[in-house]
Amino acid sequence: MRIVLAVLGLAAGLWGAWLALPLVTFSPSGTVSVLAWLGGGPVLHDALLAPVVGGVSFAVLRWAAPAWRRPLLCGLAITGVVGLLAVPALWRTYANPAATPGLHDRDYALGVAVTLAVVWLLVVLVGLVRQRHEKAGPRSAG
Amino acid sequence: MRLRLPKPPQEKDFTSPAHHERVTSKVGLWLGIAFGACFVTGLLSHAVQHPPDWFFWPSRPINLYRVTQGLHVISGIAAIPLLLAKLWSVYPKLFAKPLVSSALHALERGSIFVLIGAAFFELATGLFNAAQNYPWQFYFVSAHYAVAWIAVGALLVHIAVKLPVIRGALTRERTTDLDRRAFLRTTWLTTGVAVLVTAGSTVPWLREVSALSSRSDKGPQGLPVNRNALAAGVTNVAANWRLEIIGPHGTTSLSREQLQAMPQTTAELPIACVEGWSQSATWTGVPVAELIRLVGAQPGSVVRVDSLERGGLYRSSTLPGEHTSDPLTLLALRLDGHVLSPDHGYPCRIIAPSRPGVLQTKWVSKLEVLA
Repeated sequence: MRIVLAVLGLAAGLWGAWLALPLVTFSPSGTVSVLAWLGGGPVLHDALLAPVVGGVSFAVLRWAAPAWRRPLLCGLAITGVVGLLAVPALWRTYANPAATPGLHDRDYALGVAVTLAVVWLLVVLVGLVRQRHEKAGPRSAG
Repeated sequence: MRLRLPKPPQEKDFTSPAHHERVTSKVGLWLGIAFGACFVTGLLSHAVQHPPDWFFWPSRPINLYRVTQGLHVISGIAAIPLLLAKLWSVYPKLFAKPLVSSALHALERGSIFVLIGAAFFELATGLFNAAQNYPWQFYFVSAHYAVAWIAVGALLVHIAVKLPVIRGALTRERTTDLDRRAFLRTTWLTTGVAVLVTAGSTVPWLREVSALSSRSDKGPQGLPVNRNALAAGVTNVAANWRLEIIGPHGTTSLSREQLQAMPQTTAELPIACVEGWSQSATWTGVPVAELIRLVGAQPGSVVRVDSLERGGLYRSSTLPGEHTSDPLTLLALRLDGHVLSPDHGYPCRIIAPSRPGVLQTKWVSKLEVLA
């Protein structure tokens, strides 16, 4: 089973590399662009994103009251992911110019702000409820 | 004086329950499912657009392509928070020592770098493409397709290497560790929110909920347009425009009035774009099957469709026999009861069930029966 998976994986990967070959040899700027987008993910994640996530989580666990820790971490995770998903909608320097209404013409900044406002309202509500539970009885850890 | 740099962390410095291998395996399982769904639907979309000889794509149900391509984009977006959670779960392993213990270990670490690089590449370029945003200097379609094979290949190798760990972690009893469960709950919740804020591009009732939906209701005739008449260079259609139909028994040409005088079919069909947005509308026109009968061809023949558009990658398309025999494959003249606007393909356009939007050729000038 493991050998079959490994062989299939190797074959698929080599096929992909073969297909990608003309992309990386097409033009110098294209090569740089492909390699930057291929390597950029792991490097940005390991050197920037993950340390930030670790630092923020550490700060929350250290300084927030127990009842607030989980709602805060959840709110932060959602904010981070929605923020990442919004990048292509908000940063339009290299986007196709919107010539016809109907696509990519919503007020994305407002939409994201409203979404996050709802998320943080829920974070506050859950935090308050948990705080009250914790005061009522020491039992509620979950 | 010696400058002392802060020491990098070690694997044992990470004590959060999020780094437990059971958490890694659970998130990894769902990430694998998301990647699998994304890969299969991506291959289908590729095959529909560049069909190999053996490939068959049905024309029914009419929403089939809309669903597979919607699933492609939704599973890709769901994979973003899942990938981040998975990587956070295994982040301590980055600091494991020794860096490399054997040739096999080096190979394994290398395959993981390839996997993460290819996975980020697919998710990031896909997300940007769905927003028609291209901050790179390569052709998206070929790059996204090639790297998908690399990502799935590296994923299979990774599963092969880790299978005993995955099996062990997933078959053990249900976790009672509350912190681990909280991390998983946050992961599922964040994934749900990611889907919710984007799925309105294709799910009708989510359009007003999804803040990041690509489509709005401001399109011409209420329907979004990817390529408009100005970009296609077809703003003025000559008054003597005729549709040319070439078949085994000769050629005919029809004016818009003549097309209008033929028996009309009205059907609700979706435009389902490869970028993931889709929307249904009511189209009225003449079935392609009836048009090719005029030149002696039978429904089920392969038909090449040419546009008035002179340039562009999608100025022509080929309708397979499965689609020309479907009575809902229309040469549409009207949208929601009104004459097509120039941006929707005036004087007439192809609208067929279960096809990618880029193949629903607009500003049609010629139908040619190929076989």
